[in-house]
Amino acid sequence: MATLLSVERVSKSFGAVRAVDNLSFELDQGEALGILGPNGAGKSTLFNLISGDIRPSAGLIRLRQREITHLPSYERCRLGIGRSYQIPQPFGRMTVFENVLAAASFSSGRGESACYDLCIEILGRAGLLDKCNRAADTLTLLERKRLELARALATQPTLLLLDEIAGGLTEGECHELIEVINALRGTGVSIVWIEHVVHVLLAVVDRLLVINFGKFLAEGEPHAVMANAAVQEVYMGIEAE
Amino acid sequence: MIIGSYRVERSTRASRAGFAAMLAVIVALISVPAWAGRAEMRLLIEVSYYLALAQAWNLLAGYAGLVSVGQQAFVGLGCYGFIIATAFLQIPPLVAIPLTVVAVGLIAIPTAFLAFRLRGAHFAIGTWVLAEVLRLIFTLVQAFGAGTGMSLPIHVVLDISENRVIRELILYYVSVAIGIATVLLVFLWLRSREGLALTAIRDSEAASGSVGINQQRTKLTVYLIAALIAGLVGALVVLEKLRITPDAAFSVTDWSANVIFIVIIGGIGSVEGPIVGTLVFFVLRSLLADYGAWYLITLGAIAIIVMLKAPRGVWGLIGSRYDVHLFPVQRRVRLNLD
Ligand SMILES: Nc1ncnc2c1ncn2[C@@H]1O[C@H](COP(=O)(O)OP(=O)(O)OP(=O)(O)O)[C@@H](O)[C@H]1O
Ligand SMILES: [Mg+2]
Repeated sequence: MATLLSVERVSKSFGAVRAVDNLSFELDQGEALGILGPNGAGKSTLFNLISGDIRPSAGLIRLRQREITHLPSYERCRLGIGRSYQIPQPFGRMTVFENVLAAASFSSGRGESACYDLCIEILGRAGLLDKCNRAADTLTLLERKRLELARALATQPTLLLLDEIAGGLTEGECHELIEVINALRGTGVSIVWIEHVVHVLLAVVDRLLVINFGKFLAEGEPHAVMANAAVQEVYMGIEAE
Repeated sequence: MIIGSYRVERSTRASRAGFAAMLAVIVALISVPAWAGRAEMRLLIEVSYYLALAQAWNLLAGYAGLVSVGQQAFVGLGCYGFIIATAFLQIPPLVAIPLTVVAVGLIAIPTAFLAFRLRGAHFAIGTWVLAEVLRLIFTLVQAFGAGTGMSLPIHVVLDISENRVIRELILYYVSVAIGIATVLLVFLWLRSREGLALTAIRDSEAASGSVGINQQRTKLTVYLIAALIAGLVGALVVLEKLRITPDAAFSVTDWSANVIFIVIIGGIGSVEGPIVGTLVFFVLRSLLADYGAWYLITLGAIAIIVMLKAPRGVWGLIGSRYDVHLFPVQRRVRLNLD
């Protein structure tokens, strides 16, 4: 398998806080990687570094061998990195449809009307079609999370970064989400998924990476990682939420 | 999932009504010289350029997140550019106006690279400092009368037309056309694909990048267009006042404070807001004209109350309560047509 993403000895400090500390990992094309770690472990910061929302203090990030460490986020999007935000960042005064439309159009460079079909289809998949004319800031938190997913999908990513989209879902909704993501995997999309709802994560990912205090803690086959003693120790903290 | 046919629509009943109302206003403005006096025409000239400046500042601060306190830099450059072109280079005034605008745009490009290194409050202060520096430079230039300024030579005025009435008509129509054109430009911009980018940046700058929107390019475009509009207003100001001083040309009160007031009161981040704000501003000004310092204190107090109680201004209150959009920039999806 060809390597899609490599994160090489990446660090990011906010003042005295080392949010990500000398972290390295790779992702193969078509692979799904789950990321676990307690609150404040640096998971979302890692996503911000990969998507280009922030720049690392040290280290390199490559996509298909090409170094992207210092590319602005819009270029990374056009190279195929799509993401959702843990705290939803809808374009609040735009309609739900326009949120998805902006993503579809600017990620691909296509004109608006060439993207309409794709947008309608994605909104249908995300269960937001009946809300497509609503201003995004009138959505509930769960609907906003769906919009995060829909907007990321509209960029037609080859690498999809998902940051805690399953929290607060019912059992049935979790099941639907798993199906949506697995279907996506079937189309060749690679996924990195941060999720505290472990059983949802385990239903999708090939591999787990656990980080703690910004540092690498464990990595490997999901069940083996969950059984790891060091992980068990911090995992207590995760489950206690 | 099976999706029936759908259609994406761009206008609503309210917006069609709004558009009809706008057309009526435009017709009324065209007819003004036929029935109104000089004072009313002068007032409408001022209204027009404040409307243009307010639309420009709204694009900057309300959409691109560029809170500038330095638009007077470009108004001032427009004033002096027009003086240089007409009084010194002997270019006919109506040709000098577009030339001035181009020149202001060229000067704005390097300032953008300076200002864009600054963020948030630093950007605001940086733009202000830039304008102050320019003002100080012009107080030193003897050829322009230094600090006391200079008058537009009479031959320039006569060059527009020997006849005062015709002159005033031309100035009136040019000003009103520029006010209307600015509103139209902003509307068409927001309605276009680029408007989608601009609106996305307004609502979440981080997320706009993550969906492929080049924020820097969009912001730079806004900055330059806003500078061009300010330069244009500057040229008109000279034509109307017929004299210029560095303090008036680069006035932070006139070209920033008043304009910011207008946008905040009317409603930041919409096309309608600056229009409403301009009307409110001129009504307040005429009501409070005789109260000197109290005028400014009242304006300040109103601005603070609006910021606290209605962060989206007067238009925000109306627009969100009744979901009306006079300018149809949104896209509405009609599903399952069959
Ligand atoms: N922009 C920022 N400025 C300062 N500190 C930050 C910033 N972003 C994150 N941090 C800090 O970096 C650390 C890691 O935060 P991060 O959000 O990446 O954690 P996380 O693993 O996503 O946690 P959670 O599970 O709660 O989402 C925290 O201590 C956080 O306070
Ligand atoms: Mg997080």
